[in-house]
Amino acid sequence: MEKKLSEMKYSEEGVVKKIEESLRIKVAGMGIRTGKKIKMITKHPMKGPVVVLVDESRTSLGLGIADKIFVEVES
Amino acid sequence: MTLTVDERWDLIEKISKETVSFGKYRHTLKDAIGELTVKPLTGIPIAIAVMYGFWSFFGSFAGFFTDGFFCKLFDGYWLPWLQGVFPGGLGNWFYAIMVDAGHTENGILVASDNCFESFGVLTSGIFLAIGVVLPAIVAFYLILTFLEDIGYMPRLAVLIDTVLHKIGLHGFAIVPTILSLGCNVPAVTASRILETKKERFIMMTLLAIFIPCGAQLGIMQEVIPESMGLVLVYLLAGYFIVGFVLNKIIPGKSPEILIDVPPYQMPKWSNVGMKMWMRVKHFFKIAIPFVLLGCVIVNVLYLTGFIDWLANVLAPVLCVWFGVPKETVGPLIAGFLRKDLAVAQLSTIEMTKYQMITSVVLVSIYFPCLATFMMILKEGWKELLGSVAVLGVVVFLYGGLMHLIWILLGVA
Amino acid sequence: MKVLLMGHPNVGKSVVFNRLTGANVMISNYPGTTVDFSKGYMKIDGKDVEVVDVPGTFSLEPKDKAEEVAIEMLKKEKDAVVICVLDASKVERGLYLALEIIENNYPVLLALNMWDVAEDKKIEINVEKLGEILGVPVIPTVAISGKGIKELVLKIKEAAPVKVDKIVERTEGRGD
Repeated sequence: MEKKLSEMKYSEEGVVKKIEESLRIKVAGMGIRTGKKIKMITKHPMKGPVVVLVDESRTSLGLGIADKIFVEVES
Repeated sequence: MTLTVDERWDLIEKISKETVSFGKYRHTLKDAIGELTVKPLTGIPIAIAVMYGFWSFFGSFAGFFTDGFFCKLFDGYWLPWLQGVFPGGLGNWFYAIMVDAGHTENGILVASDNCFESFGVLTSGIFLAIGVVLPAIVAFYLILTFLEDIGYMPRLAVLIDTVLHKIGLHGFAIVPTILSLGCNVPAVTASRILETKKERFIMMTLLAIFIPCGAQLGIMQEVIPESMGLVLVYLLAGYFIVGFVLNKIIPGKSPEILIDVPPYQMPKWSNVGMKMWMRVKHFFKIAIPFVLLGCVIVNVLYLTGFIDWLANVLAPVLCVWFGVPKETVGPLIAGFLRKDLAVAQLSTIEMTKYQMITSVVLVSIYFPCLATFMMILKEGWKELLGSVAVLGVVVFLYGGLMHLIWILLGVA
Repeated sequence: MKVLLMGHPNVGKSVVFNRLTGANVMISNYPGTTVDFSKGYMKIDGKDVEVVDVPGTFSLEPKDKAEEVAIEMLKKEKDAVVICVLDASKVERGLYLALEIIENNYPVLLALNMWDVAEDKKIEINVEKLGEILGVPVIPTVAISGKGIKELVLKIKEAAPVKVDKIVERTEGRGD
């Protein structure tokens, strides 16, 4: 099932499928690219940022950025 | 030949497949703590505890050295000794500048009995810099350096992101903000880590207006401990109110947070020591000359009658609009150079607790100290002009508002 | 000749800088500690060579003012040798910037810094092979303890510009 990164639940894992063009270079620098495994560590309330795990490094992204990244998750 | 973005990543993918292998990684206690401190449910209480610890350490460490040692040394030995041996004596202009200007009681000029009142270069100047501000600076940077080196700052940034979005910034703006509590000067440079011009302008303006520096905090702790809480509440409220307004009226974008959250590390003590030394040295370099120079200038302006003249000219604004005594003119002038000096001087003027709160807030916000002013100028004169314009409006409105609040509470 | 230290934020460039030059640049464990460049000198073959600690940047397209400073610095110093400092536990993303710099015809060395952190994370990197494919010197370092810094200094002379199509060829020649 494909969903937005921002919609992933706590500790859910998935694989990055698509990143909106405008963001591609910016988040790639942080290690987030299509084909990468990604795990949700935490989400902050009130439209706060998310923290994800990619290649054993943790990165925090604003929700607006997480909205533009699409992830394939199991089930 | 250059590659496109996708070609470059393809190439990296290939290289990495050939040369890098990821073993099975087991999560450690460090990772567990790392995650606990960034998740909202656990992270926010921990952050509050950390900040509270920071605050209490700052107070008790600085108090221990200032009250327990430096006050006794300077008031008990240094001041009386200088009053005895320095040529001239009470009433002499050079003696007034260097040692003690004294004050009039029932028409008679009396000598000061402590280093806050004497206001000489060799007495107050040195006492404030070494005896009060130095312990405060050391206490502040000790904790800050520790938090920086273990890697706590990015986590704090994530936790506070939502709040700072309301004022056109994102979580990482907490780094310049906290640095600014030590000294505004390096904080202005640190605001470069923010992405857009809009963010940087908001950040620099808020730092320059509302964040008191470590030197000022140290002095407030010493001379107005009972009013300090309210002063900080007013400054913090101002930070958010003005930030909120600036965010609405300034065109431009406020991008979202995108930062690495590095793993925790044990601090290297040699590095902590080196950073402490560099920061204290930086403090000495920019603070001491200005504190001493400030003492000279203020004394000269008093002796020539300029301050009395200006106090009478500005009396309507000060007394009617802001509701503070006209004598605050002197500290306001000193505040151009150093906030610590200005607050120390305020503490010797007779006024109510609420007038004191208003005047300390005014001294904090009406102008950044000269060193900060020069730093913002370095970032661009347009930014500087903008900040000064905002500042003018804010001082007038915010000072008036405070007076109004006191009137409504019936304490003005 | 000048030596530029470049790399992502928070990979330890300033620590390497302090090691190379004996300077004391502030270092902290968060990205963006260095927002302005600092200069220092190191000795190579008895001669003083200028070393510049450049603010961290993710790519050669700036996203904030500190990154602008970094990229302008690189463009200005046409004949500099670039030591690209990578976080060894995040090699892939570090290589992106390294390749960009290589494509711009600068002689590059890779310092795989924080090698100990990578080992902790059970990440193994074949240093020799990486050097072979890229055609640039690759040195594992732990700048905070000084490990690998001597070797890094010795190899500065060996750095030479590499054509990126050669790198592409070398990856296509192997594997699969």
